[in-house]
Amino acid sequence: MPGIPSDSSSLIPFALEGSSQPPPVYPLQHGLRAPIHRIHISWSRGNLLNVTCLRPPPDQQEEMAREDDEIGGKAVEVLLGGAILEGNIGEHKRRRIAYESVKSYAFLHDKKISLAKMETGDNLSAPALTYWWQYTLEYSKSIRDILGNARLHRPLIEDPKNFLKPEEVEQPIGTKAAWELMEIFYVDMQLLSWLPERLVDWLEGYDSLLSKTETVHSKLAILQRKVTSMRVVEDEPGYWNGLAAALAVGWLDVVAKLLRLHGSYDPDQFDKRETENGLVEAVVLLVSEMPRMRPNLPNGKLGICYQTKHDYIKGLEKWRVKVSGLESSPFWVHCNHRPTRDGLINLLHILLGDAKHIADATSHWLELFISHLLYIRPLTNGLEGMGNLAEKCMNLKPSANNGLTSLLAGILSENPEIVLADCLKAFGPWIVAHAVDLLTANSEYTDGLLNEERYQLGGASIGELYMLVYAQALASHPLTWQVAPAYLSTCLNQGRGLLEILLLRQPVQNYRVVLKTLEICHLYELGNISTHIMKMAGMYQWKHGHKGLGIYWFQQSRDKTRLSQIAHKLFDNIGKSLSDDSFKQWEGLMELLGSDVGIAGGLEFLHKYREFKRSLQQIVNGGTVEAAKKSTELLVQLMRNPSTPQRFWLPLLLDSVKLLEWRSGPLLGVSETNLLLGKLQELSMAKLRPDFHGGELKPNALGDVRLALAKNLGRAILEES
Amino acid sequence: MADSGDRRRFIYNLHEQSKPVGAVRWLPSVSPFLRLAAMSVLSPPAIEIHSFSSQSPNPNPDLNLVSSYPLPSSATSLTSFKSHNYTLIAASTSTGSLHIFSVNPYDGKIESQIISISDKDSFHCGPIQSIDVETSSTGECATAGEDGRVNLVLIGEDKVENFRVCESDGLVAYTAVKWGSPVEFVTGGVGPGLQWWDKRRPGGPVAQFKGVWGHGTVTGMIHSLDIHPSRKHTCVVGGSSGAVYAWDLRWQQQAITLAGTGLEAKSQPFSESEVWEVKYDAFTPQVSSTKVLPVMMCSEDGFLAVLQQDERPVQLLEEPCAINSFDIDPQNPSDVIVALEWESVGILSRGREETEMA
Repeated sequence: MPGIPSDSSSLIPFALEGSSQPPPVYPLQHGLRAPIHRIHISWSRGNLLNVTCLRPPPDQQEEMAREDDEIGGKAVEVLLGGAILEGNIGEHKRRRIAYESVKSYAFLHDKKISLAKMETGDNLSAPALTYWWQYTLEYSKSIRDILGNARLHRPLIEDPKNFLKPEEVEQPIGTKAAWELMEIFYVDMQLLSWLPERLVDWLEGYDSLLSKTETVHSKLAILQRKVTSMRVVEDEPGYWNGLAAALAVGWLDVVAKLLRLHGSYDPDQFDKRETENGLVEAVVLLVSEMPRMRPNLPNGKLGICYQTKHDYIKGLEKWRVKVSGLESSPFWVHCNHRPTRDGLINLLHILLGDAKHIADATSHWLELFISHLLYIRPLTNGLEGMGNLAEKCMNLKPSANNGLTSLLAGILSENPEIVLADCLKAFGPWIVAHAVDLLTANSEYTDGLLNEERYQLGGASIGELYMLVYAQALASHPLTWQVAPAYLSTCLNQGRGLLEILLLRQPVQNYRVVLKTLEICHLYELGNISTHIMKMAGMYQWKHGHKGLGIYWFQQSRDKTRLSQIAHKLFDNIGKSLSDDSFKQWEGLMELLGSDVGIAGGLEFLHKYREFKRSLQQIVNGGTVEAAKKSTELLVQLMRNPSTPQRFWLPLLLDSVKLLEWRSGPLLGVSETNLLLGKLQELSMAKLRPDFHGGELKPNALGDVRLALAKNLGRAILEES
Repeated sequence: MADSGDRRRFIYNLHEQSKPVGAVRWLPSVSPFLRLAAMSVLSPPAIEIHSFSSQSPNPNPDLNLVSSYPLPSSATSLTSFKSHNYTLIAASTSTGSLHIFSVNPYDGKIESQIISISDKDSFHCGPIQSIDVETSSTGECATAGEDGRVNLVLIGEDKVENFRVCESDGLVAYTAVKWGSPVEFVTGGVGPGLQWWDKRRPGGPVAQFKGVWGHGTVTGMIHSLDIHPSRKHTCVVGGSSGAVYAWDLRWQQQAITLAGTGLEAKSQPFSESEVWEVKYDAFTPQVSSTKVLPVMMCSEDGFLAVLQQDERPVQLLEEPCAINSFDIDPQNPSDVIVALEWESVGILSRGREETEMA
């Protein structure tokens, strides 16, 4: 994203040529004083940007910088895209949701695979579809639980003045509201007949998320705060406004509780305001008897439930007759308190479905929509009718749309692509990745649309694309990357490749992390990837001097090439010096390399070689004849042993010169000397071959050896004859 | 494959931590009502002490953070012990330092850091993978590192002495260490071998066990060791490929397999992934005095189980994520605390109902 520093200390992206809309401006609080000299932008984890703002270097304005003692720059983290509504969810809560939801997701996909195995054809049969739908419903419910259970602390003694629900332990989160909305429309088929009532319930839970100020909930919250200090509630216009608002969106229990706070219930005033109280109570009764087209009501909620349309219409007609009867009752004349009379009649108008009163009582278009569904068109069915109604309400009450309202509008316009895109914008990649299964649960059309392989997406489908986006977000965090494979493995086109890249990118410094990565490789049968990882771990450890661990990983990955390279290097080194300390090292290394190495001799040779070297050392320091003889014996043994590597012949022969030049007579007999001469001859021949390992020997080394051997042969022949 | 255990007798509570937890250890508690646990958290690296009330009427007592102390890098090993009526915690880090803290046993506040050693030359260079403190007499802390060094740290009244037992120049990487007696300890590392060391005989291990896992088809690492104070000659080992075996010093050539595809191919694999920690379980009754005592293990694939020789494993937990560490409360062996990969800590109480009925 290109950016230029501006005077107003905010970053402004360049306007794109030909775009009709002005580019959005996001002010960035960096707290530095202008001018900003340089800006560096780099990607951090996920969709986090690191923006570094630097002030001019001090040499330009040295004096100034010293004066205000100001910092020279600042790095700011900017969270891009997604999660507009979800700014209040902490990072750890997000990770928690990721951990918990992977179980449900994996379970659903296991079921999908097993269902697909049972079926022979391409399409699922009817019973399988039913199973599938049930699994999806369970999945949806488990995800809903993960997003937060509304744990309510009910006080033992309820204060009559508390008409609003006590504040939930966890504030409702937008993601959950969006999830429930999708569940209502896409999965819960049994509820289709009472869809309007489901939406009423939904709004009750999430009304506060629509807008900060302009909602019924916010109106009631203000009233709740004030009500304890009000002496005569019925004189306050806020009381009647709140009542009308609560009634319009169908919070009947709140209405009943509020009405009971009316002053006429006061025992002191009861005698004077008997008629008034009768009217209030009559409205309470009518409100609590409101017919509702739904199978049941939760505890504490008011209304009378009707299961079938037929019964409901009958009940509704009867009830409306009662409501209009009360409206035209002669008792209103005897009600002396004017606000009470007006307020109650307003409530009756709302109950009768008067569009104007309803529009006045509600604040947001969605609330107006719900109240239309409740009082004016309770039998609205089908998305088209709802869509038209929603459009009408939006025109009547233009309010700022946010993620939730655009999501509802998208659902009603029956366009799954828009639904997913809106979700991604407002709630981030998590919900989209998980919602694809909801959207496709009952609709073959949507299933086709989202799961069709598309050439322009590299063979991936839209559903897979969203899954990959989510997996990428998971993979970018060191704590959640282990969750990503579960999603990548369900992506048939691109998932495998990305999974391999993800695994190969994991750090190899810590062996525990390597083991955890290998475990995932094992789970997804990625044998070659685990070999790669082990080789990388081996190289890292070897380079850092952890020879044991390095060799362990090479052996695990069966990396013959590197192991034999190590072995060759080892033997090269042995030829040079052989102090006790370094010998221990070699011995340890040989032991580690074990029999895996393709070098003849190995440990056995090394031990004999050391023994010989040791005894030779003693002789040089002035040893006895016996010691010299033993040394010679070891030399001959080494030379006779076919497992002695050829490259050790020359060092051995050079060492033998010391024995050959032993002062008190020849140590080697004729046959032994002949053996050494034979080896020397072989070596001279081998020297001509290009692959000969000569080491760093003096040019006349061979000649020296030959001379010493010849002298010794002469002495030995004399001695033996 | 395994008995899932009688879950009804368990009370298991999960506590979300919102940060990754490496290791967990119970702390000796003074009051039966207030229990303390230490845990090493990884980002940012620190030691934390949490408390919870075990007698509260609330069936889900919350873990409350009491105090925390930052570490220079992530902790690799954690142990708690009592010395001269002090409650102490020792932690080693991935940059080769050792830290010992004293903790107020009444409220769990970390009072001070009494020791902090970090020296690339004379101590460790690279991660210290395991530490163990000898508590019965000397109070010496053995440290074993990936750099192939084994050090003993003597915590004296006024000074700290540190001397090297082994320097392998990286040829061996040690991953586990455990004291068997005041003078003997066992180390384990890469490959299935174990080394038995005696302080009185310096220069090298006094006994070595060289096993071949899965007939040479599988090799692995040792992640954890435990020695029971009443059976100092037997060492129980947990490592790669779900292997849990016991090694008896008196029969050095053969180990007893408790679980895993490990040493003998005939044994049934219970878990096939890494066994991160093993500990003798004093709560499970012993079947026969001639057999290995019951052992609890936790694994990368989310199992917490009790293993017994020639018996089916009893599975206590099956989590969807790895169990990185666990600890059995020495004072109340029925209680187990576990650290889960997904930023949470679980507390499992076994047999609570039975005691209530009695």
